[in-house]
Order: sequence, then structure tokens, then C-alpha cells
Amino acid sequence: MASMGSLTPGRQVEGRVNKIIQVLKASVFLTSRLFFADPQWLIPNIIAPFIFTMVAFFLFQGQTSGSAFLLYLVLGSGLMGMWGTTIYASANSIGFDRWNGTMESTLAAPVPLSWIALGRVLFNTLQGVLNAVFILVIGLVWFRVGFGLVNPPAFFLASVVTFISLSSFGLLMTTLLLLSRKGGFITNSMEIPVYIATGTMFPVILLPVVYLPFAFMLAPTWGIEAIRLAALPGYVGLPTTYWEDMVVMVLETFAYLGLAFFLFKRVEAYAKRMGTLEEY
Amino acid sequence: MQVLQTSREAATQKAAISVQGLTREYVTRNFFGGVSRTTMALSGIDFQVGYGELFGLIGPNGAGKTTTIKILTTLLTPTGGDAKILGLDVRKDLYEIRRRIGIVFGGERGLYNRVSAFDNLRYFSDLYGVDPAVARKRIPELLSVVGLTDRAQEKVEKYSRGMKQRLHIAKALVHDPELIFLDEPTIGLDPGGARDIRNMVRELKAQGKTILLTTHYMFEAEELCQRIAVISKGKIVALDTPSELKNMVRDISVIELRTYGATMEYVEALRRLPNVVRVVADLDSEQQSIRVQTPLGADLLPMVAAALPAGAKMIDRTIKEPTLEDAYLRLVEE
Repeated sequence: MASMGSLTPGRQVEGRVNKIIQVLKASVFLTSRLFFADPQWLIPNIIAPFIFTMVAFFLFQGQTSGSAFLLYLVLGSGLMGMWGTTIYASANSIGFDRWNGTMESTLAAPVPLSWIALGRVLFNTLQGVLNAVFILVIGLVWFRVGFGLVNPPAFFLASVVTFISLSSFGLLMTTLLLLSRKGGFITNSMEIPVYIATGTMFPVILLPVVYLPFAFMLAPTWGIEAIRLAALPGYVGLPTTYWEDMVVMVLETFAYLGLAFFLFKRVEAYAKRMGTLEEY
Repeated sequence: MQVLQTSREAATQKAAISVQGLTREYVTRNFFGGVSRTTMALSGIDFQVGYGELFGLIGPNGAGKTTTIKILTTLLTPTGGDAKILGLDVRKDLYEIRRRIGIVFGGERGLYNRVSAFDNLRYFSDLYGVDPAVARKRIPELLSVVGLTDRAQEKVEKYSRGMKQRLHIAKALVHDPELIFLDEPTIGLDPGGARDIRNMVRELKAQGKTILLTTHYMFEAEELCQRIAVISKGKIVALDTPSELKNMVRDISVIELRTYGATMEYVEALRRLPNVVRVVADLDSEQQSIRVQTPLGADLLPMVAAALPAGAKMIDRTIKEPTLEDAYLRLVEE
């Protein structure tokens, strides 16, 4: 077997990329198998979003000013579902290994733990997307919400980038779980504040000024704005354009990813020094 | 001094595992971050394992076996000393070491129970960067070697303990490692399952793999290992071949008793007899098994019989040569 050192730089990069893809695929595949092996997946992905959407619709029934508002509501509920699934499942993906006794086996693999975690977070976020799609379908079919998007390609692009930004935020959250089992408490407690701060149910501009810096640091805030601008006619939110929202979201996503990979390295080394990696 | 250092370096290069002055300290901190307790899990241990050797590491619970394995498999950072695996540094060359070693964890740890054996092996082969074409051929082969071909698509949670342990071995071999760590591989298995695992270990040895085995079962260590290190309270208290370790207790014989109705009082009475070095008893079963180590041999038998309380019965008594377990007990209790 040729060692990496004897290959040209181009082949080395190619080999590394192939390896990352192989690990990501394996991680996504295993996470999906584990997910579907447990019938409880129906609760967060089908039952909870259904109840969520029903409550939101009945709350605002009679106060709506047309189909655009309902679509606003559906998009907000969908993004809440996406965020809820991402934060819960990502925080627990490493916790699951601790609980299941597979932490040592996972750590013993010759790849950075961040690659494995990224695969898991990607699947978990994708699961959140399915959750959001389900909410959308309820809105379209049950409540007959019109799905007349202002700019479908822009909506699609904003949705994809929001998906990536949520994944990167989930990855960042996962590092907390590596440090200690108590990290789960922090990630779980972030669910509701982030719902509010990212403006899923009402425009972020309505928040008290002191909360705005926190809201602006969250990439999904910009994602939700971009999605609404691309979907809703005459939407008034933050005083930014679609592309400004997108640029800020992309920059923040890169910042999350950079910070997550840096923290993974540091936290893994720290946990190995302290001997806390397998503690549950 | 120069010569000594050079010869030590040469020996290190020849060894598959080389451990020098390895230390690991655990610090427990209180709520305010101050040090509340410091535990020395390893106090400067040294040993080397040659290529193709089957080396045993035995010791009581908390002696430092697992800490040693964790450090050697790069899962834990040592606080002092050096350890090299296949000539690579456990602190610096993590991924290269991990690529070339396999780890078999004992008990229920280390497998994804909700998916099949095949999925477990496929996942780990991908993590280890095994070429998918190679994996497609190797995974069925390994499942056949460990006798799981017929159950390969079943969820692991339906497996018996022995089947899980065989799957553990297949998992450790999925990337064809040069060196294998077996951490109590037969723990909790029935005699048949444990025998299957021991046969697999022999097979691996025959294939030229270097193996480091930890076990609580002395007969297993004696049966499989070429050399054994006995670790106690974070220190290596003996390191030799099984026969040489047994020679350390050649000065004693062992009286093996099987009794009915014997209690702890009888064991204490035996301990008080003159020239009794050690008494090890298993009183949990209906019939009790008691081993008395003594330099007197058969001469002690009348006193042993006389100490038996009324109502208790001696079913059997035999004089035996000391085993590795007798040597081990002396070493860890000293």
C-alpha cells in the first residue's frame, strides 16, 4: 500500500477528500439506520410537528390577513421543527455513544471525531428538513395554505444554505457534549431561546433591543429572513435585502464551522487528558 | 551510559509495544475547580512486547490494566513517560497508530446494538478507510470466520453474549491490523463461548499478529500468553513467562478442598493454622471450594480436617502443584 507521503500533493488531496466522503457517508448511513430502528422517531418527526402546527393555526385562526400570513406561519413552524430536531438530535448524537458504550470504538477510529459528528449532524438536520416538509404539507393540504412563492429559486437556495447553517450550528453544539455529559443540559436549554431569537414565529425586529445582538449572531435568523423574503409577497422584516441576509448567513456558517472544528480538536485533547470521554 | 541508551533505543525499535516509565494520574476537582483528590493509576511502568508475541497483562480491578490499554490505544493521554506502538508515539501519531491496531473491548461495550452485524462491520470498515471493494470481500469472510454468517443481517441486540464477543473480534479485524488489543475478551461468557474466543486468539497468533491480552482468568493467561506482566496498584510487580511466574511459588503446595457446610469461620480457622500462607475460598455455592497454600503440603491435612466445624463435611481434598493463580495472588497481595 502506498503511503500518503509518496503521493503527489494533488493525489494526497484527492485521497483525503475521498476519505472524508467515505466517513461522512458511513456516519450518515449509520445514523439513519439507528434512527429508523427506533419507532420513537414518529414522535418528534410526525406527531409533534402535527400538534405544533395545529396549535399555531388555531391560535391565529380568524386573525389572518390572507394566505401569505398562513404561509408565514407554516415556514416559521417548519423552521422551529428543523431547529428543534437539529439541536436535540445533534446534542444527543455523541451522548448516544456515551450511553450505548460505543464512545471508545468511535474514538479509536483513525479519523477526527469532528468528521463522524458532522455526518451525524447532517442526517439530524436532514431529519429536521423532513419535519419542516411535513409541516408544510399539513399547511398545504389540511389548511389549504397557498404556496405561491415570490421567487422559487431564491427560496430553494436560502433553504439549502439555512440547512447547512443549522448543521454547522448543531456541530458547534456537539462539542459541548464532548466536554461533559452536562453539556446536554446547555444544548437542551437553548431550544426555546433560539426559537425566539431567530424569529421563527414573529419578526426578530419585535424583540427588545438587548436581544438583537444575540439574534444577529445566529445564522438561522438570517436564513429565516432570506426564506421569507423569497417566499412571502410584501414581507417586511429586518432592513436588509435577500442577498445581504445570505452573505451574513454564509459568513456566520463559516465562523461556526471553523470554531466547531477548532473546538473539536481542543475539546477531544482536553477530554483525553482528563479521562472524561467515556463517562456517562 | 551512551551504550546503554543506544541498546535501549534498538530494543524499542524492535518492539511492537514499548512502554517506559509510563505514568497516569487522575485529578478530581471540586466545584470551585480546586484539586480535591489525586489518584495515581500508573506509577512508571515499563515493558516491551515483541512482534508476533502474545503478551498478557493481568491484575486485580483498579490495578491499571484498562488505563494502560487506553493509553496504548491512544484513548487517554499519559501524564508521564513514553509509549510507542509499532515504533510510533502514542502522543503524536494517533491516527497512524489507530490505523494499524485493532481493539476488542470486553462485555457489552463497543457495538451498535440496534443495527445488524453486517452494518456494524461496514460502518467501522469505512471509518478505518478500508477500500469498499476490499470491504465487500473481507466482511463476509470475517463473518464466516467468527461463525455469524447466518445471523449477519439480524440486529446485534438479539445476539447472545458470545456472539457479540465474536462480532467484536470481527470488528477489530476489519482493517487487518498488525497489533490487536484484547481487553478481557472472555468476560461473562459461558465455557463454550470462552473456548471459541480463545481458539480465535490462537488463530490470530498463528497468523503472526501481535496481541496484548488482559484477563481476569489465570488459566486463560497461562494457556495463551508467552509472557505475562502482573500489574498491581499501578506498578508492574512481575513480568515473565507463565512457567517462570509459577516457579515463584514452588516453595508451596496447594491443598484443594471441597466441602459442604463450611462457613467463613472455618476459613478464618484455616488462616490461623501454622505455616498457612494464604487461603482463598469460594463459599457462594452449595459446595464450597477452598484453596490453602502451605509449604507443609500433606502434613497440614490433619490440622485442616480437625478445624472443620461440626455439621460441615469434607467432600474431597487433594494436594496440587501451585498454579499461575497462586503466583498471582502472592504477587498482588505482597
